[in-house]
Amino acid sequence: MVTLTIDGVKVTVKKGSSILEAAQHVGIRIPTLCHDKRLIPFGACRLCIVEVTSRGRTRTMPACFNPARDGMEVATDTPRLRDSRRLQLMLLLRSHPLLCPSCDAGGDCQLQNLVFEYEVPELSFGRQSRYFHVDNDSHFIRFNMNLCIRCGMCVRVCEEVQGQSELSFVKRGIESEVSTDFDRTLDCEFCGQCASICPVGAISSKWLVGTGRRFELNNTPTVCAFCSLGCSLTLGEIDRKTAYVSSSPDSANEGNLCVKGRYGWPFAYSDERLTKPLIRKNGALVETTWDEAIQTVADNFGSIKANSGPESLAAIGSQRLTNEEAYVFNRFVRTVLGTNNIDHAAGLGYRALKDGLAPMLGYAASTNSIREIREAEAVLLLGADLTETHPVAKNEIILASVRRKAKVIVVDSIRTKLSDRDGLFVNVPQGAEVFIVNAMIKFIMDEGLLDRAALDLRAEGLEALEESLKDYSVETVGVNFGIDPELIRNAARMFTQAESAVVILAEGLNRLGDSVALSKAAVNLALISGHIGKESSGVFVLGEKANAQGAVDMGLMPDTLPGFQSISDENARSKFETIWNSQIEPKQGMGARDIMNAAANGTVRGLYVVAENPVDTYPNRQQILNALGKLEFLVVQDMFMSSTAKLAHVVLPAVAPYEKSGTFTSAERRIQKLNPSSKIGCGKPDLELFMTLASKMGKADLNYSGYAEVMDEIASSVPMYSGVSYGRLGLQGLVWPCVDAEDSGRPTLYEGGFPIGKAKLATAEPFAGVLPKADSFRLIPCVQKFHSGSFSEWSPSLMEVCPSGFAEMNGHDMAGLGVVDGSDIKVTGSGGTIILKVKQSRRPVKGTILVPYHFSSNNLNSFTDWGSTEIPIKVEKA
Amino acid sequence: MQERDAILKRKVQDSAEAIPPEKLLLLEPIIEKYQGSSSYLIPALKEAQEMFGYLPMEVQRKLSMGLNIPAPHIYGVVTFYSYFTITKRGRHTIRLCLGTACYVKGSKQILEIINKEVGINVGETSKDGRFTLEAVRCLGACGLAPVMMIGEDTHGNITPSATLNILEGYQ
Repeated sequence: MVTLTIDGVKVTVKKGSSILEAAQHVGIRIPTLCHDKRLIPFGACRLCIVEVTSRGRTRTMPACFNPARDGMEVATDTPRLRDSRRLQLMLLLRSHPLLCPSCDAGGDCQLQNLVFEYEVPELSFGRQSRYFHVDNDSHFIRFNMNLCIRCGMCVRVCEEVQGQSELSFVKRGIESEVSTDFDRTLDCEFCGQCASICPVGAISSKWLVGTGRRFELNNTPTVCAFCSLGCSLTLGEIDRKTAYVSSSPDSANEGNLCVKGRYGWPFAYSDERLTKPLIRKNGALVETTWDEAIQTVADNFGSIKANSGPESLAAIGSQRLTNEEAYVFNRFVRTVLGTNNIDHAAGLGYRALKDGLAPMLGYAASTNSIREIREAEAVLLLGADLTETHPVAKNEIILASVRRKAKVIVVDSIRTKLSDRDGLFVNVPQGAEVFIVNAMIKFIMDEGLLDRAALDLRAEGLEALEESLKDYSVETVGVNFGIDPELIRNAARMFTQAESAVVILAEGLNRLGDSVALSKAAVNLALISGHIGKESSGVFVLGEKANAQGAVDMGLMPDTLPGFQSISDENARSKFETIWNSQIEPKQGMGARDIMNAAANGTVRGLYVVAENPVDTYPNRQQILNALGKLEFLVVQDMFMSSTAKLAHVVLPAVAPYEKSGTFTSAERRIQKLNPSSKIGCGKPDLELFMTLASKMGKADLNYSGYAEVMDEIASSVPMYSGVSYGRLGLQGLVWPCVDAEDSGRPTLYEGGFPIGKAKLATAEPFAGVLPKADSFRLIPCVQKFHSGSFSEWSPSLMEVCPSGFAEMNGHDMAGLGVVDGSDIKVTGSGGTIILKVKQSRRPVKGTILVPYHFSSNNLNSFTDWGSTEIPIKVEKA
Repeated sequence: MQERDAILKRKVQDSAEAIPPEKLLLLEPIIEKYQGSSSYLIPALKEAQEMFGYLPMEVQRKLSMGLNIPAPHIYGVVTFYSYFTITKRGRHTIRLCLGTACYVKGSKQILEIINKEVGINVGETSKDGRFTLEAVRCLGACGLAPVMMIGEDTHGNITPSATLNILEGYQ
């Protein structure tokens, strides 16, 4: 720690902090134009100069990159500094076009604000006009580099945070400017970070042009509804319509967003949104009134329940529901419908958490917070292509890689963007990541790289694990998959010898293979390497949709009540029976797969599907279509006419996430509050629909005055949420476990031990010895960063960047097949034949093609099945 | 707004003729040599320029793919160093000094005569591919002012009429 004086205020900061950071620490503002806390200091704008007196000498120096030292006396605002800053601003204005009245950034331009603040009286230098790069043709983002002040923040955020380097300084001296190569239009992640960080109007959001300016926006803070990272959003509205989305720099995500978060929102304004409830009459869905629709649902569920018992009803929830809605839906299904047949995410999307992490460690949740990844020394990615699935978490790995020189170990069936980073790339067939991890564990044990004494204090089951690994060796696994055994040895050394290391898994309905076995192996590895229960380490399982963690917490599963409390636990059940004022069936219900089988054979007759689209996303499309077709009564509650809604008997329009209240719990257990923007569509909030239905079905006591009351009930019944209430949820939310009203949450779990006593090491899967078959192609369902598989297909903006599904192939395979970029190929597999356009890409390795799974028109899930690991296909030129 | 941008939009240089894909295969040895070590970008670009004479878009893209260095970064380096060029150069490079001494002794008139007779301005290449004209600040031979270099040869005390005779010697 160092202590210095800034403008007469004594400040103590961490050694290595800059003078600027020290000043910000005590709320003293130093003007900057090229500084952002996410970036490495650059020192280009020279506005942050301060006068520093140290050892009797006074000097001026930039505050942004000079470290604070003991005994410094810093003055931030003297007449001399004001003069210097004024001169600096005059120089910047020399070639900055003064078209401020027509500039998009007017009123919200940092240069304009500083010129005003420093009272620049005149432009004493001759004006100089230069002509630079202008681009009106890129998606979402507009460049007018004539306005650029060369602060370099766009270039740096693109390189240092996004790891993309789409922009660069080009040319030299007075002609230097920021551009792409040969001034082409953007072809990047379209995260919009460059536009959001630009202090002037040089890079801006196209959608604001002619709509309004940033200072006119009416801002509502809420949470992103796409992936499970829970980035906070600020919805900027003009005339009660969203025009601009940004994120606060003070949020947990530090203002970083990806393309979906920043530019994906227009789906809420899609013309295809359902406006009226629909009901099936004479085989066709026709519009009806809310009263008739709700009454029909209540009558039909009521009669099925009366005729063939509550177990002939089932419900499928979603990771898109808020905690409050998921909780009330759970109550509705178990007490009003009276069945435990409830599930979500195909019963697959949460398995790693619930059956992997929970029994071994205690909580069905990632162990650390996402922001800790940047300080890790090694990052092990197991089949997690975060660039596509969780782009903002990928930024953390870029930060670790660039700033901490972390080793990035990618074990994956595809070559991801992160496999280019310093570290290792272990290419395995899809679903075989688990064998590599087990081989790593075996190697660590054989070489004695683990601290057995320390491990014994914290975990049990080492002997059983050792016994179960006896068939493994680095050599057999390596030879089996055609991998150099040294690669696995190095991966194991890198991971276990790092001071801090994280393992990251990404769950999603595109992922094939046994995610439970993989998550168990990951936890085993983290435990024996001592990487659990400390900062910047741990195991992350990143769910697919916004409230993936919340859906698990709220117990949208056949065997679990809210708060991971088992349905067979007498005490837990009676607690909820009291709160819910109803009996709960003690028998475990059916999961999604069993529900589908039971629907096909007629045991389940009525199904309530909320915010989920099984037809397009669950494995084995034909089976799902067949099962849903046999149902006597299917209700679908969604925003759009999804493929599942087309089969329904009643369709209830829901609201967009931006119109919702409630909370989402992100993959780092952060509970954050959604605030509704202006109403867009005609749908009703899910919570209201559950309550109306309950009262129509004779359970009028399932009634809440609002979302806050539901959260209060959650706090009283779910131990990890005990200290949560709406009054406490600020911009950063709260991280569970949050046990009382004073608790500020615990981002790092298991620091003081495990709630289950000692951690339980799991036994390893026997080595199956699967040989990769070289003769046929493999299809790998992947995720595309512009899409999410739920509402992105209805987002005109995302469809503009990525309009259709395609097959990614590597150059060698394409040459072998005699196809070029844009040719059609015919893909034949167990699920029939599809024709796809080919796109050359570095991502697929030889013998594989990658197809994004979220385009419903591709019917990709007709090629998959529950439990299948690989999809052999035949690929021909079409 | 659109109009304003159109006014400010600067004329973009026409790109040189495309290099056929089979010729790009010549870059493979360079890529192989420097793969995985992104700090060797400049030697790689130097060798590529020695091979093609210039570094057009196709060459930069190919190197970007092969060396796994972002294309905008390569473009930034190429446009930063005056040694690299993205347009095809003439067989002979004229480096005319426009430094103080040469300027006073009349190098401006020499520039004008080259403009007029060869038809190229500073930074341009003649249509027949013979000359590329560059202006330099000082060649360190002010005693010979005005001075120009053609390729590796230095010519001093030149006059506008002598210039054309000198150029005759370079075909």
